Amino acid sequence: MASGSRPLFGEQQRFMLLLVLPAGLLMLLFQVVPIVIGANASFRDWALYNPKKVWVGLAHYQAVITDPAFLEVVLPNTFLFMVVSVLGALALGLALALLLNRPFRGQKLVQTVLLVPLMVAPVIAAIMMRWMFNDQFGIVNAVLEGLGFEGQPWLVERWTAFGVILLTDIWLWTPWYTLLLLAGLQSLPREPFEAAEIDGTSTWRVFTHLTVPMLRPVIVVCVVIRAIDAFRTFDIVWTLTGGGPGRSTELFSLYAYVLAFLNLDLGRGSAAAMIGGLIILVVGVVLYRVTDRIAKA
Amino acid sequence: MAAISLAKVNKHYGSLHHAVKDVDLEIADKEFVALVGPSGCGKSTTLRMIAGLEDISSGEIRIGGKVVNNLAPRDRDVAMVFQNYALYQHMSVYDNLAFGLRNKKVPERDIKAAIDRAAEILGLHELLKRRPRQLSGGQQQRVALGRCLVRNPLVFLFDEPLSNLDAKLRAQMRVEIKRLHAQVPTTSVFVTHDQVEAMTLGDRVVVMRDGRVQQVGTPLTVYARPVNRFVAGFIGAPAMNFVEVTVGEGKVSAPDLDLAVSEPSGAALQRYRGRKVVLGMRPEHLVLGEIAGRSFEAAVEVVEQLGSEILLEARLGATRITVARVPAEASVASGDRLRLSVPPGRLHFFDPETDEAIAGS
Repeated sequence: MASGSRPLFGEQQRFMLLLVLPAGLLMLLFQVVPIVIGANASFRDWALYNPKKVWVGLAHYQAVITDPAFLEVVLPNTFLFMVVSVLGALALGLALALLLNRPFRGQKLVQTVLLVPLMVAPVIAAIMMRWMFNDQFGIVNAVLEGLGFEGQPWLVERWTAFGVILLTDIWLWTPWYTLLLLAGLQSLPREPFEAAEIDGTSTWRVFTHLTVPMLRPVIVVCVVIRAIDAFRTFDIVWTLTGGGPGRSTELFSLYAYVLAFLNLDLGRGSAAAMIGGLIILVVGVVLYRVTDRIAKA
Repeated sequence: MAAISLAKVNKHYGSLHHAVKDVDLEIADKEFVALVGPSGCGKSTTLRMIAGLEDISSGEIRIGGKVVNNLAPRDRDVAMVFQNYALYQHMSVYDNLAFGLRNKKVPERDIKAAIDRAAEILGLHELLKRRPRQLSGGQQQRVALGRCLVRNPLVFLFDEPLSNLDAKLRAQMRVEIKRLHAQVPTTSVFVTHDQVEAMTLGDRVVVMRDGRVQQVGTPLTVYARPVNRFVAGFIGAPAMNFVEVTVGEGKVSAPDLDLAVSEPSGAALQRYRGRKVVLGMRPEHLVLGEIAGRSFEAAVEVVEQLGSEILLEARLGATRITVARVPAEASVASGDRLRLSVPPGRLHFFDPETDEAIAGS
């Protein structure tokens, strides 16, 4: 048979393409197409009350990156939130994983209870927290006053409100770290630790010189995934403070949301979203490179 | 001074698994003792109890005269080599060697001196800057030895250190460990399932089975005078041949087999006169040809030419398979019928019920 008449793909390849096809179509429909529409919108003057979609070039981009609220509040807030949330939950998650890694009575029970925050929808957690930190009826103030301290208007001041947001996020994500780090800990070989034990290594030195370096690949993956995810956080901030008081706890995703869906300026909202997308792309790649180098060191 | 003494040591895992049973063992200062046995015989558990990595259920372990039952591993002044090397993969070889000393806050200058000495003995100088995963298995195990050496401990503990190496490297490392022990005489306990390692390395060999010590003795003693059928079969390769025979007047016999028995076995065997016992013959003690009263006929089934010798699988009588080691030059082929003989003093006898040896030789 002439080789020229052979089909483009072999049978196995055609089968593989067939398997990939549904996922590919879904991605095209719900990821690529919206991104293209969004990108197109970001270059146009498009508001619900002004649907003519006039091409304005980079005007929206310029407006966003020169907006003092974006530069001085939203961006710093977003990065502060990312760093504190990721590191805070990492530290707590690692501590819990270490505690759970040694056998004790009721370990399985504790392990299950610890996972509860993972099963709570973030919005529900945020509503819970909002009530706990309510300055009139919240249990936190009730306890504080019971102990003789003064109740605080938690969600009415910038930094206390930001603190409550961080607390909520860390509470939500610590179990996720615990779960992954515990799995990492349990997959570590036992012998180096026994060798260290025989060599008379202190617990702290085992932790800093063996446990952490050996866990580094897991930690890196956790940090990268969570950092990118934290950048997009919306639900808990929206529910807890709505970006307030004023706009002082606004994160990046709220900024884009408010522009597009509250101010109904879809063009500028899209531009903000595109900028955010670019930032997280760069941050993600840099983070991955840096942490990957650390992990391989 | 670092003699090790185990007295009635037991290890239970839960209520069902009794891993080590009443082990008594005296290891002299600077002695090299090999614990050998099939997997699950309790040899590793025994070693780990000496190291302090396992609790002792009952009994007493002393190192250098001091009871160490309740001492943490770090306070026992022992060093251990693991089967999978247990190196710290993220540190250089130098840092691996230095780790134990840095724990004790030894000045860096002294650490360097100790590492230089160990590197000299083990030929590690070229490797000091590398990472463990860049080394071959043999090199990694040398680093693991070095890590023990720099600490200058009272006792070396080896947990199957050669099992992950290929056969050639294993033989090489065996020699190196032997040389190391000659250069730096330190009380050593070496666990292995390989009887060749145990025989070649140990000043004394401890054969274990099902958590119990079967026999303790020099390699030659356990080889030449095994106390029971298990030790006889475990030590030596290929394994000893066992044939059920009936004791007669000055001889033992089975169908197709009549062997004269000389003193002192003869006297001991008198108690078994007319009864069955188990006869043991080592393959290397079977020779080709006729010795009056000490020969039997066998049919060759398989011939394994090893170059240095030939291993024969031969059928004795109807069912029994016997292995013999004969000179490489012998001309034998499968299907041959030939005469095999056992020289005087090479027969072993075992009680068929208790498996205990009946005054051997």
